[in-house]
Amino acid sequence: MKLVRQLGISALALGLGAPFAGSLFRTQPRGLDLDSIARAIDEGSDHVSARQLAEWIRDRRPGLRVIDVRSPAEFRDDPIPTAENVPIDQLAKSHFAPGQTMVLYSQEGAHAGQAWVMLRSLGVTQAVFVPGGLADWRDEVLYPLLPPNASPAERARIEALSHYFGGSPRIGAEQGGNVASATRIGHGSRRRGC
Amino acid sequence: MNDLLVAGGIGVAFGCALECAGLGDPPKLAGQFYLRDFTVLKVMLSAMLTAMLGAFWGGRLGMFDSAAFYVPDTYLLPQLLGGLVFGLGFVLSGLCPGTSCVALASGRVEGAATMLGLFAGVLLVGMAFPAIEPFYRSTPYGPLTLQRLTGLPYGVMVALVTVVAVSALTWIAKRETGP
Repeated sequence: MKLVRQLGISALALGLGAPFAGSLFRTQPRGLDLDSIARAIDEGSDHVSARQLAEWIRDRRPGLRVIDVRSPAEFRDDPIPTAENVPIDQLAKSHFAPGQTMVLYSQEGAHAGQAWVMLRSLGVTQAVFVPGGLADWRDEVLYPLLPPNASPAERARIEALSHYFGGSPRIGAEQGGNVASATRIGHGSRRRGC
Repeated sequence: MNDLLVAGGIGVAFGCALECAGLGDPPKLAGQFYLRDFTVLKVMLSAMLTAMLGAFWGGRLGMFDSAAFYVPDTYLLPQLLGGLVFGLGFVLSGLCPGTSCVALASGRVEGAATMLGLFAGVLLVGMAFPAIEPFYRSTPYGPLTLQRLTGLPYGVMVALVTVVAVSALTWIAKRETGP
């Protein structure tokens, strides 16, 4: 009983001392760390290619979180597999665990890049974005253009990745018309905005 | 791998602490709901108090960055309903998910039955998830904490919770030693 009472009194002392302990978060008045942002942009550690992201998803990279920053309606239309929807206006309210790698994407990449800066200003440093957004995802992963001079191993790699996500590669050069129409489809969707 | 070992060690220690507190015993746990046995409340209050004070002072003294702690998002209505279902299962079986593992480990068959129900429930919800997803994501409030809800400074909130918890624990101690 004596020990229990002592524990209770120490808990009370620690608890009542808390209001006078000052601010808890060392990180709270954190401004935008422009130097580290500039360095990340310079080094290219701020983004990953759509193909790299596809390989991460396929290999089930531990701690990977794919975040779609578009509106819920757009997200429902054509999400990247395993992605979760966190619209830009919800981003600041979300929590990101330190061990996770966040990959941001949007329709064309501009919004994802802006979301990346937002996260940096919140002190989240383990985020990257896909520069070309969903357009890149379509052109590089789902319907990649196979370069005619690519080695068989590389062709197989690109094909396997494309088939994994339910797409099919396009053949370059020989089927010019096919490519042109595919590119037109790509451009059509690219005009939809960020 | 190292993380897994650490997690395993913490899990075993957690299970031992639960068993030592007597929480592997279904009648004891169910007793809380009928206000006959206050062990659950005692364990919960003292654990929350220890964790809260540890998180606050550890962060304050620079041992870790409390801002990096993960706070789960609040979805009010679905979590209220989930809490009700959880409580119903808790009082029916006398065990919660954690204590069912403890009960099984100490050889109680109730533990196995509860874990079976637990996995059946997880499977059912998983299969029904596409249908219930809109509800699952309804009424979102983000990572809600008492301090965000009340707008009071963190330290003041810690003091208030401490006072409430210590008073409740004192009341339980008096009640147990009393007539």
